[in-house]
Amino acid sequence: MSNGIKLILLLAEILTVGSALVVAVNPNILYSAVFLLFSFLGVAVMFLFAGADFLAATQVVVYVGGVTILILFAIMLTQWMYRLKLRDVGSKFIVPAVVLALGLVPMLHRGLTDLARMVKAAPPEKMSEFAASPKTMEIGKALLGSHVLPFEAITILLLGALVGAVWLARPKS
Amino acid sequence: MANNSALFAQTLTDWTQGTFLAPVPLWVWAMVSALVVIYLLALPFGGIATYIERKIAADMQDRIGPNRVGPLGLFQFAADAVKMLSKEDYVPPAGDKFLFNIAPVLVVVGSCAGFVALPLGQYLVAGDVNIGVFYILAVTTLIAPGILLGSWASENKWSLLGGLRSAAQIVSYEIPVALSILPVILISGSLQVGEIVKQQGWNPDLPIAANAHFWNVVHNPFTVFAFFILFVGGLAETNRIPFDLPEAESELVSGFNTEFSGMRFGLYALGEFVDVFVMCAMLAALYLGGWQLPFLELDKFWITLPSGLIALIHVGVFLVKTLLLVFVVMWLRWTLPRLRVDQLMGLCWKGMVPLALFNVLGTAIWVWAFKGQSMIQVAMGLFSGGGSSH
Repeated sequence: MSNGIKLILLLAEILTVGSALVVAVNPNILYSAVFLLFSFLGVAVMFLFAGADFLAATQVVVYVGGVTILILFAIMLTQWMYRLKLRDVGSKFIVPAVVLALGLVPMLHRGLTDLARMVKAAPPEKMSEFAASPKTMEIGKALLGSHVLPFEAITILLLGALVGAVWLARPKS
Repeated sequence: MANNSALFAQTLTDWTQGTFLAPVPLWVWAMVSALVVIYLLALPFGGIATYIERKIAADMQDRIGPNRVGPLGLFQFAADAVKMLSKEDYVPPAGDKFLFNIAPVLVVVGSCAGFVALPLGQYLVAGDVNIGVFYILAVTTLIAPGILLGSWASENKWSLLGGLRSAAQIVSYEIPVALSILPVILISGSLQVGEIVKQQGWNPDLPIAANAHFWNVVHNPFTVFAFFILFVGGLAETNRIPFDLPEAESELVSGFNTEFSGMRFGLYALGEFVDVFVMCAMLAALYLGGWQLPFLELDKFWITLPSGLIALIHVGVFLVKTLLLVFVVMWLRWTLPRLRVDQLMGLCWKGMVPLALFNVLGTAIWVWAFKGQSMIQVAMGLFSGGGSSH
């Protein structure tokens, strides 16, 4: 990896983590939604440099173009929601928050040690070769070949959700 | 298929080998090509498009249009830019300063980034990304949050209504647009725009039956419909008439950009024009054969014609196709009345989405049944008794 790519990657990491921090601590819920968008973009850049270009574009389409817009809509259409200071209600959740954070530590530790082992096992020249190879065709073949059953199961689930949404939103006559 | 997501930058690196520029790393050239895309393609087009739009509007209304600045009023857009830069830089005091500032930037970034994957010619593309078409769809989604945030930050009822309309419209019409791109991907088996354009070419060496793959728009009956759905969906995605409800001036003053003045307003306008160009260029590349000329393989003359001239012809052919589509977009503006909100949503969900789904299914069956041959090839096969598939 050249220094330039390392620099871009570092900027993407700062963007992701920094924006996530703003999402967590900013009292204005609309700002949280906006910085969530930047955090998603940073994750997309990291996917790109990990060689997952299809995943990066999907990340942008689904999370920036879909989820963020949905969150912004929900905030703007809920009365007084954006004037709410989240710090007012934050203090009573301190104990559950600390418990959850402590529970997260072993999980993260496990994941990171696994990752470190995988990185050590793969030689760096193999890694860059993998990162540069196009994988969209393989993803397509896997989705319609070896993984066709889960793929179809998810489509039925999503169809059910769509029909349910239409049923909920139809006018009561 | 080699990974050439930094094709243009790679070429620049290769050119400079052995000169004093050799130690410049690849990522600097990537930055340079990004700046070239923005300053030499996107921004000039945005500026000239405003001039063309005003001239076409004037012609259709039997007026003269801009004719004072420079020959034929050609420098009107430069005068407009100077005017915009010298306007008062106003931020609504009750609004949100931070969001107000970043919102127009999101719109411009989203539309200019789409330029990267557009193939102007066979070897003239800033980055022929492997996921090309999908990449263009992805980066242009940044426009919706840009408009929505700008409208909210204005602290103005009309702005907010326009912004909400725009976001709902863009999110809805993304579905028929994406579904109308799928038939092309089914036919060509690639997401790379350069590869899709190459497959629509004409090779005089091959027998005519193997050759008549031709432009995707006439590949099979379903792609004809898909082409029109993509065009109409593109109009809606770029907020053009008859889908310009977000800035319906008879109801919403000026919609989401009511409070914007000076260069921030200019950025919104620029973003819209660039988005229109990206949409039309994508349509030309996916369905109208991009830089390919029918019945002619320019590569055949590669030795006799200088490569620079070939590249120029490619760019010219591509630009003519794209600008013809842009002209139709501007022509529609003075032809059709604006839709109502319920008509807009009804057209999308009850009309275009089912039709687009039907097109995808139809194309899939066609590609399976005729082994990827186009309808011209199938018809020729009927007469000559079994045409060869390619």
